[in-house]
Amino acid sequence: MRNKHLHAKAACCLCFFVFIAITATAQEQQDIHLSGSIQSDMLFSTQDAKDGSAQKHDFLTNTYADVMLQSQYVDAGTRLEYMEKPLPGFENDFKGWGVPHFWVKGKLSKAELTAGTFYEQFGSGFILRSYEERSLGIDNSLLGARLVLKPLKGVTVKMLSGKQRHYWKWDGGLVSGADAELSLDEWLPTLSQHETRLSLGGSWVNKYEKDEDIFVDPTHRLNLPKYVNAWDVRANLNRGPWGLLAEYAQKTQDPSFDNNYSYANGHVAMLSGSYSAKGMSVLLQAKRSENMSFRSQRNRLGTSMFINHLPAFTLDHTYTLAALYPYATQLAAGEWAYQTEVGYNFKRKTALGGKYGMNVKVNYSYVRAIQSAWLKWGSDTYYQDLNIQLTRRLARDIKLNFMYMNQRYNKTVIEGEGELIHSNIFVADALFQLARNTKLRTELQYLTTRQDQHDWAFALAELSLAPHWMVTVSDLWNHGDTKKHYYLGQVTYNIGAHRIQMGYGRTRAGYNCSGGVCRFVPETEGITLAYNYNF
Amino acid sequence: MKKIKIIYLLFFASLMAACSHIDEADQLIYVAPDIVEECPPNSALRNVLLEDFTGQQCVNCPRGTKVIEQLQEAYADRLIAVGIHGGPLGFKGNAAAIGLATDLGDTYYNHWQLEYQPVGLVDRHGAVNYTDWFTAVREELAKPSKVSMQAEASISNGQVSVSIKTECLDGTYNGMLQVWLLEDGITATQKRHDPIDNDNTTINDKNYLHNHVLRTAVNGTWGEALSVAANEPATKTYQLPLDAAWVSTNLSIVAFVYNDSGVEQAIKANITIKE
Repeated sequence: MRNKHLHAKAACCLCFFVFIAITATAQEQQDIHLSGSIQSDMLFSTQDAKDGSAQKHDFLTNTYADVMLQSQYVDAGTRLEYMEKPLPGFENDFKGWGVPHFWVKGKLSKAELTAGTFYEQFGSGFILRSYEERSLGIDNSLLGARLVLKPLKGVTVKMLSGKQRHYWKWDGGLVSGADAELSLDEWLPTLSQHETRLSLGGSWVNKYEKDEDIFVDPTHRLNLPKYVNAWDVRANLNRGPWGLLAEYAQKTQDPSFDNNYSYANGHVAMLSGSYSAKGMSVLLQAKRSENMSFRSQRNRLGTSMFINHLPAFTLDHTYTLAALYPYATQLAAGEWAYQTEVGYNFKRKTALGGKYGMNVKVNYSYVRAIQSAWLKWGSDTYYQDLNIQLTRRLARDIKLNFMYMNQRYNKTVIEGEGELIHSNIFVADALFQLARNTKLRTELQYLTTRQDQHDWAFALAELSLAPHWMVTVSDLWNHGDTKKHYYLGQVTYNIGAHRIQMGYGRTRAGYNCSGGVCRFVPETEGITLAYNYNF
Repeated sequence: MKKIKIIYLLFFASLMAACSHIDEADQLIYVAPDIVEECPPNSALRNVLLEDFTGQQCVNCPRGTKVIEQLQEAYADRLIAVGIHGGPLGFKGNAAAIGLATDLGDTYYNHWQLEYQPVGLVDRHGAVNYTDWFTAVREELAKPSKVSMQAEASISNGQVSVSIKTECLDGTYNGMLQVWLLEDGITATQKRHDPIDNDNTTINDKNYLHNHVLRTAVNGTWGEALSVAANEPATKTYQLPLDAAWVSTNLSIVAFVYNDSGVEQAIKANITIKE
């Protein structure tokens, strides 16, 4: 069995390298374009193993090599992935290597047909979003076929069917769907004359999954629906600086591990309004979701095999302490989520703007539990974030960014244990232009809370010597509880399309999140090496 | 291209028509109990070992306990459940609260490369979500075993004495014999939903009753090697001191034999007090 498995992998790799050889030959023809990338993240662990972290002296790597061939009528691509000894924090099934991506696309003026693996999103992704997020170990691409048609001006129709990637298997149900988007402004001259764009969209997704034995007690098993249907309607209106997006999606009975095998339908509704003019922007968003966890395998848990994705209505923070407690969308339990953001640019040579002007941005997000009655809130606050950012140039060669953030984070709901953490975070970020090609950026951050591991401090200095070198040192220090330092030193070298980064340091255990999806990362300590190349 | 479009449209039309709404009255299908009470010659009825990897900070773990209670009601002594506290959601206690997690529990959690809690091992055939325990236990109960076991345990003069007799009924069995000490009726904190099936409310229940809690391994973390041939039963005896933190009347022992093919047989015995 093991030999058969190895032979299959060897065959896949052979195909990958044959593909590269063919594309390299084909590139000699002028109308064919070859592109690709290599990404390799490596860790040489120097700490003793504990709680699922790396073993001492382990060499771990997540490596990806993509190749794509483009021509007038046909595109094709493939990807080799090597995670036989992956970086810490990924699900067990993530481990492996092979060629999980291979696709060919035929293109005509009004039609496009893809066979193999592909990514797709319908609308905001409420009922279908297949995507890749390497830092989280997410790749829910579909293996099958997709047809995209543009039969009339302003009309796009997509149809697809396939099986979702589940790390190194395609063992979920069959996912099929269709999406139609109509740009009315291309049909109605009145709209385009008034600089108004209006598009209407509708989608439908079906999951077929075979029956299985799931018992609720020793003598009763569930009568499971083999087909689950989901549909989505949306309207997007833009006129001048104003924008409005309304979207609603519903899912039929889909008893799953995530929803405690509930037979209730799922719903999500979203309304988003924006205003964006020179010097000022406003965003207002509200979303209510309930029972919208939609996977291609009903008894799956963890981060794999999601067919859909609900965006988190919270700001994705980049500052270390602001991102210490990141929010993850509660797909199955549901949530009421609100977000508002106001940005204003104080002009130069005004009382508040000073000599160089000043930008102020205020963002507020609030996520709360739901009740079965649509407009009522549940009792728990899941997340709250009020943050104010001021960006101002102090002198020609000094730029400052200050942030204050007030956060409430319901650790019990988001991580499954803990308490409601109420924190205040302060950030000062200064950029100094030391010489024409030399920049120094420094960060000082402080988080104070009475809960969890109490107070944290963070400092960073990043020296950039353009165009090749960057040196970064930082220290994250928990002085409220563990007194532990998480220091990091890195040197980055860029040349052409190559980027090499080498460092040594310790990272804390915690959650790494992106777009409302999180994964737990255990503590690591060791030498890190990263290599990126695009061609 | 036109043919492809027609095939696609027909395919999608058939899927759109495939709707499977299930009324509330039809959501459960009755399945007759499938308890094997007679077994083939040279075999014994199998008791099933369910290792429940749990933790006091794990809000969903009481849902696993609820499944165990239903299984115990249906299968009585043939289902042997062990609550192994440890892993990231285990709690080792502090000055104010009793902790049930142990280093032993952490060792098992890490050894089996478990990722979530609650999760179980049913006769050590890989990790099983708690919602699938019914199915896994049912399948294991239907398999006859080539090993039969007997267990006796008593407390005398502050010592726990254990005697395990293992008999192979067909050929030779090579594996490991593991003996654990369990305690019932421990009142300690537990994070849980309130009520247990409701996701929206979470409480810290300070009076939660914990049963079948793994306290210690009697004969080492992984037990000791055992080889028994047909008609040549092996008896092993062990002694360990009684810990003051344990309530002696609530103690029991669990013994099982296992190898790379999983757990072959398990047995549970209450501890009699001979003071």
